[in-house]
Amino acid sequence: MSFVPGIGIVKGMALTLRRFFEPKVTVQYPEQVPEIPPRHRGRLQLLYDEYGALKCETCFQCAMACPIECIDMGGTDTKDRFHVHWGAAEQYAERREEQALRRSGRPVPDPNFAAFDRADTTRLDALLEQEEHDPRRLLPILEGTQEIYGYIPVAAVKHISTATGIWYAEVYGTASFYGQLRLELPAAHRLGICRCPSCSLFGGGAVRAAFEDELGVPLGGTTPDGSVALATDDCHGENAGTPWVTLDGRPQRDMTAAGAVRLAQSLAGHAPAGRA
Amino acid sequence: MPLLGTLVLLFLVLMLGVGTGVIPGIVIWIGGVLLANIAIVRFVVAATAVLLFTIPTAFVIIFLELKVIAFMNLRIGPNRVGPWGTLASVVHGLKVLSKEDFTPTGADVTVFTLAPVVTFVGSVMAFMVLPFGPGLFGVDFNVGLLYFFGVGGLGVVGLLMAGWSSFNKYSLLGGLRSAAQMVSYEIPLTLSVVGVIMLAGTMSLNGIVQAQSGSFLDWFVVRQPLAFLVFFIAATAEANRTPFDLTEADSEIVAGFATEYSGMRFGFFFFAEYVNVFLLSGLAVVLFFGGWTAPVPWPWPVHVLLAPGELGLALLALVIVVPVVGSALFALPLWMLRSEWPFWRAWILGLGLFSALAVGALGIYLLINLDALLGIVWFFAKAYVFVFTFVWMRATLPRVRIDQLMGLAWKWLLPAALVNLFLTALAILVVHP
Amino acid sequence: MATRIPSLDDPRVLVSTPATIYDAIPPYAPRTEREAEFYGLRDGEMLVNMGPQHPSTHGVLRLVVKIDGERVVDLDPVLGYLHRGIEKLSENADYHHAICYTDPLEYVSSLFNELAPVMAFEQLLDLRVPRRAEYIRVLSCELNRIASHALFIGWMALDLGGITPILYSFIERDEIVEMLAALTGQRMLFNYMRIGGVNGDLNHEFLSRLGDWMGHALAQVEADTALLNQNEIFVRRTRGLGRMDRQTAIGFGMSGPNIRACGVPYDVRRAHPYSVYPELEFEIPTREEGDSYARYLLRIDEIKQSIHIIDQVLHRMPDGPVMAQLPRRITPRPGRAWAAVESPRGQYGCFAISDGTDQPYRFRIHDPSFVNLQAVVPLMPGNLLADTMAVMASLDPVMGGIDK
Repeated sequence: MSFVPGIGIVKGMALTLRRFFEPKVTVQYPEQVPEIPPRHRGRLQLLYDEYGALKCETCFQCAMACPIECIDMGGTDTKDRFHVHWGAAEQYAERREEQALRRSGRPVPDPNFAAFDRADTTRLDALLEQEEHDPRRLLPILEGTQEIYGYIPVAAVKHISTATGIWYAEVYGTASFYGQLRLELPAAHRLGICRCPSCSLFGGGAVRAAFEDELGVPLGGTTPDGSVALATDDCHGENAGTPWVTLDGRPQRDMTAAGAVRLAQSLAGHAPAGRA
Repeated sequence: MPLLGTLVLLFLVLMLGVGTGVIPGIVIWIGGVLLANIAIVRFVVAATAVLLFTIPTAFVIIFLELKVIAFMNLRIGPNRVGPWGTLASVVHGLKVLSKEDFTPTGADVTVFTLAPVVTFVGSVMAFMVLPFGPGLFGVDFNVGLLYFFGVGGLGVVGLLMAGWSSFNKYSLLGGLRSAAQMVSYEIPLTLSVVGVIMLAGTMSLNGIVQAQSGSFLDWFVVRQPLAFLVFFIAATAEANRTPFDLTEADSEIVAGFATEYSGMRFGFFFFAEYVNVFLLSGLAVVLFFGGWTAPVPWPWPVHVLLAPGELGLALLALVIVVPVVGSALFALPLWMLRSEWPFWRAWILGLGLFSALAVGALGIYLLINLDALLGIVWFFAKAYVFVFTFVWMRATLPRVRIDQLMGLAWKWLLPAALVNLFLTALAILVVHP
Repeated sequence: MATRIPSLDDPRVLVSTPATIYDAIPPYAPRTEREAEFYGLRDGEMLVNMGPQHPSTHGVLRLVVKIDGERVVDLDPVLGYLHRGIEKLSENADYHHAICYTDPLEYVSSLFNELAPVMAFEQLLDLRVPRRAEYIRVLSCELNRIASHALFIGWMALDLGGITPILYSFIERDEIVEMLAALTGQRMLFNYMRIGGVNGDLNHEFLSRLGDWMGHALAQVEADTALLNQNEIFVRRTRGLGRMDRQTAIGFGMSGPNIRACGVPYDVRRAHPYSVYPELEFEIPTREEGDSYARYLLRIDEIKQSIHIIDQVLHRMPDGPVMAQLPRRITPRPGRAWAAVESPRGQYGCFAISDGTDQPYRFRIHDPSFVNLQAVVPLMPGNLLADTMAVMASLDPVMGGIDK
């Protein structure tokens, strides 16, 4: 077979050389975004109307139409809002399956810990009703819960999450963030000690050591019977020659190491209210 | 902080050494050894320089190929990895280095390992005789062209070794195809340059370039157009470039001889191919287009800048030692003054400052002796026109079949080269009896 | 076949391994005559496996090629690497859902894949499709034909080694596919045909893009094929290659551009007219040579004919609904129906059997690529290995349809 270079090759090469200088057709994503036609079906998302409300009514038409049955849905009616989870059935089922619950942020009921989960929820339900199950009023809900129980038990956190649809992690995170919300039952008495340099100069260190030895807990801890909690107070700047020590918020004047031992011994054995 | 302390200490030692004359003594002694006219020293230096030169060349050609083919395809090639995608070759090199390096079961391990080395060495050795500028070449053999073609034949051996030792039918087919192709095309390649040798009277490449000095009408392409055509087609086949890239035809036999190679071994093969492309472009320029001579006579007088064979030392010094030391010297005060900068940033800025200074100084110096710089510029410009043409052909043309390829070599190129030889000899007899 | 091939689990294999165990020869005795003929190697022949992973086999196709040096002696295609069980899946799905399964059969030309089953189901329902829907079907199908042929041009060049025409093909195809995305909602597996019509009416976006494209469609085709049509290397590689004569082609049951390049003017749109093709004027390009170059040129002619058809359709588009009224669950009458369309690869047909329930009883696809691929076996022997790919590319098979 013979091969003679001829005009065809030259014309072809002239074409490519011309195209070398022509503007290029590349769309430089993400700086330039190609126009997506309005009918494009490539991105699956639920639509909102102009007032911001979700248009989905969970009418199941899309689930019926899907040939490979990859859509499932469920709704939680918490005061006129539906939560629609659509997607593969095994991921987004509202069937209280563990995986589904975990993925949707809800607590998973575990029979091993059922004994610890009990809390009387009648007053809590009333509180939730009063606050209209509104996720935006989580902080008042939590403060009300603390008033009911004295602290926020885990069972109450779970109940709030289930009733309002707020993710368990969010409720727990809010409760653990604020200082005034307690997740544990408080101790009967609170001993507060200041640790600023001027208090330490006036013997604060000895007082603190005496308290720690006598009560048997480090600073920040609670005695096992729940009678005394040893905590750090903020500096008040008015120690006037003695270290700053408070008992349940009342300042104790002229505290010394010996006085600390006596005070601790007097407080020991007082069981706090509410502990079994 | 410890780094700063070490640097200050080094600086003090340097000052002390310079002050007491110890360090200049050492430098002078090393310089004396390097500049001495001992063949082995010159050879080692030149070989190192040539090896170092091939790496940036291959990188540039890889980048050029990616971008030029992309532009011809109406798309932009790599444009994110560096300014305008210039780091794309570096990224390719790193990718090739980071791949798993395995030897297939049943392969002949010694031959398998040596094959890329042989191919690569064959391409690199031929650089030693290529003149880049007036006086800028590795060695000036008086049989330089013969040496060039002899060494270029090593590539065939490497491909055959690769094809056979891979224990793979595809590789065997690819290796045999490539051996047949390269051996067949070596004959028109060498025959087409015999006309040039006859016209120049010497096989030394430096001599051939100097025989074309003058204007572009003295270039051999004007007097030997048929030889140039044959040479160019044969060179395309020697470099395994489209339309003759059957050896790596990836739509037929996956990757031909290199099917079982991965990682840096594969990188070596393709490194060698790109180096080969530049080599053959350079040879085409030297033989037919005047090498480093300018198309029109240059007003400044042309005289040789460096003594013949000094390419190695100049390149080594320029490329390695001076930039490192210079950038460190410039970076040190910067780093000490702007302590929130990381050390590498100061180093890069120091390198930039030093390079600007060095280029400025070199430019001023070379303005007095412009011919070397101009020679290099012309050579590279012409060579890269040919490289561009190779890439352009790859972008446009489909592949020929093996039997068409062999037919072309034996039935068309060989007779054409012989005809050219005959006509040249006749013309020489008639014009210069 | 006397070599005893040890099991590869045997640890002694690594120590003393004859090279023949890496052959493609199976370790059992030949079961058919064809196997005996194929796996009996004479001196100097070898079996090369152009395996399912190959840059050029148009999908996952395994070709076991028996070569003598460079020349192909025999060829054995092995199918099934892309089998997805579409026909069986359709038996468990509604009629409406079954249409979605047909898209990925010949994924390059999806609308034809949907059209034939839809027509078969409409026959079972005795349903009359509105005329506007028919015209829109023809319009979108012809656009898809152009897109498929554009891809063919690029693919063929790529298999021969030219890396530029495929990118030009993709530029053309991108324009058409964006148009179809504006109309149907997707760029490739359109899911646009419905039983009784189409999914959505023409909209402004689609029509404006179509207008822009029609302005330069012909010129663009000419420009892009100028790179290859006269290119000596391309012509010398494809002219005379894989020459097929009329009798062999008809004997295999080939259809589409492959048989029209052999001189047989068989086009389903004229032989068994469907939809509104009887009202449209177009020619059936035919060529006499029957080689790869003729097949390539023929498809370019078909692109031009399709542009002509689109022009007519746009001028004649009637008003009306785009879909017939249908209940959500359809139960056709028990019976059988066959419908065939002219896809870019040939005659694409669907044979549906209904048993009166809302799921088809049997849903059989007659795929043109499956039939066309058989032609590779007699065409190849005598050519070189490099030509295997050239011939196969010119037959334009799509593995999705072959393996279903």
